[in-house]
Amino acid sequence: MKNLKVPVVELGNGSFQVSVDLNLYAVEAITATSYKYTDCFYVHQQTAPDNEKIVNVILEAKNDGILVTAEIMKQFCNDLIDQQVRVIINEKFGHIRDLIVEAAFKPVNK
Amino acid sequence: MKNEYTILPFRFDHFNEEEYLLTNDVGEYIFLKNEDFEKFINYELDSKSDLFYDLASKQIATTDKVEDVVNMLATKFRTKKSILRDFTSLHMVVPTLRCNSSCIYCQVKRHESSDHSADMTKKTAKNIVKCIFEGPSPYIKIEFQGGDPSTDFEMVKYIIEEAEWQNLFKKRELGFVICTNLTLLTPEMVKYLKKHKCDISTSLDGPKDLHDTNRPLQDKSLDHHEIFEKNVKMVRDIWGDADCVSALMTTSKYSLGRYKEIIDEYIRLGFNNIFLRSLNPYGFAKEYKDKVSYPIEDFIENFKEGLDYIIEINKNGRFFVEGFAALLLKRILTPFATGFVDLQSPAGVGIAGAIYDYDGSVYVADEGRMLARFKNYYFKLGNVNENTFQEMFNGKQLHEIIENSCNECLPGCADCVFQPYCGADPVRNYSVQGDVVGHRPTNEMCIKTKAILRYLMEKLHEDDPETIKVFWSWIK
Repeated sequence: MKNLKVPVVELGNGSFQVSVDLNLYAVEAITATSYKYTDCFYVHQQTAPDNEKIVNVILEAKNDGILVTAEIMKQFCNDLIDQQVRVIINEKFGHIRDLIVEAAFKPVNK
Repeated sequence: MKNEYTILPFRFDHFNEEEYLLTNDVGEYIFLKNEDFEKFINYELDSKSDLFYDLASKQIATTDKVEDVVNMLATKFRTKKSILRDFTSLHMVVPTLRCNSSCIYCQVKRHESSDHSADMTKKTAKNIVKCIFEGPSPYIKIEFQGGDPSTDFEMVKYIIEEAEWQNLFKKRELGFVICTNLTLLTPEMVKYLKKHKCDISTSLDGPKDLHDTNRPLQDKSLDHHEIFEKNVKMVRDIWGDADCVSALMTTSKYSLGRYKEIIDEYIRLGFNNIFLRSLNPYGFAKEYKDKVSYPIEDFIENFKEGLDYIIEINKNGRFFVEGFAALLLKRILTPFATGFVDLQSPAGVGIAGAIYDYDGSVYVADEGRMLARFKNYYFKLGNVNENTFQEMFNGKQLHEIIENSCNECLPGCADCVFQPYCGADPVRNYSVQGDVVGHRPTNEMCIKTKAILRYLMEKLHEDDPETIKVFWSWIK
């Protein structure tokens, strides 16, 4: 096992792992980010055996597909930040969207 | 310092290395430099700055009472979703599966011209018209599909006259369209269609060699393109209006690299618009994928080149519209709804359009009928000879399909920056990916639509006054 850059770890056999801190990121942000990578890679998420506040995300190349690299894992980390911002915005202001939809359909809900 | 403003719901994505694109539910958009985006979401943007005023004018943030902005956004949202107000208005009817063409990408399993086994009966036709008028929509458009409906023109006439009779009592806004390759139309047929206000929609895939490769006639001794050209002229002469006939093109792998020639052919034949359309993965197009299909990335590159060429043609003074770009631009630049059944949220299948097959079977979309030709009946709602309107259009099956086709809550769509301009296509998802929800990261329709939306956004962001003028001229 070769440490490339914390928290990205090369696991061998064409797979890499990144550890995500649940104190900083929501599970839905992690899953939404992982989903975007399912076109090119097999993605696995699991709680770290020794720390339930850490989720390990493992990306593995599909047969004859694009190889996982440290760069891809770093991009995953950046995408994770975008996804977390979306979660935060939705948590804070998503209720306004509900108000808009409710107001929009008020004429037919009378 | 934290500034006093409220951030309203929005979606975002990186647009390029330096900028973000932000959109909201009603389709407003704005580009923000990276540093401005960071300031904005951290409440560090000066609420007296021009940039903030831009954000506020697009209802992405406000210093006013949130309730007031909510009401304004609600009105816009209702307008965007107004397609839902009237329920199904497009009713596609298949009088026969007979056809005299043998298109290489045929999606229907056509019947030979002499094979009458898939002709509609008058009883079924009557029940179809009855079913159509049981719907609540004040607008009814009956579109004849096939096969080629002109091979059973007597049935087309019967349905038109039955619908006109029903409408004497129902008083809807009634219209007709016939989709035909034009080759069998006679002056008498065209005069009838004109009299009954039945528009003509046809197919033109490009110059002679390409059109005849993609859409050969079954009778090899006949020249499809030559007959097409002669009959377009005949139709226009009778109608006295160049826009009375519109054409659709389909991109086979033989069309790639030839978009300029295809566009030139449309212009040579006097058309004012084209819809650069990729191949649908149904029927023969799916069965013989290796022979006629291509990677979606190839289509996207061809589309961009074609669009650029069309923009230049317009800049040089010839009004000519690319239909898909015009549709998306209307969604981006105006608050209005657009009636394109294939790209709605919720999907337009069943609730905006439905198709009635020659035997009375009702499907949520033309593609659902095409799947049925290959023994897959997932999108069949029922049969007009056996089921009521309520059973078919308010049944469990249609509810389930629609519930799974709102892109506001589909994985990969819910937080997509292009969500307000896009839609869901559960039939295509099912056909290609095995379920109505689909898998966005590998979904070709998603890849294509996002790439084209991004390209249009790039054009808007370039802000070339001439290009913008062209775009606005396309939005009726």
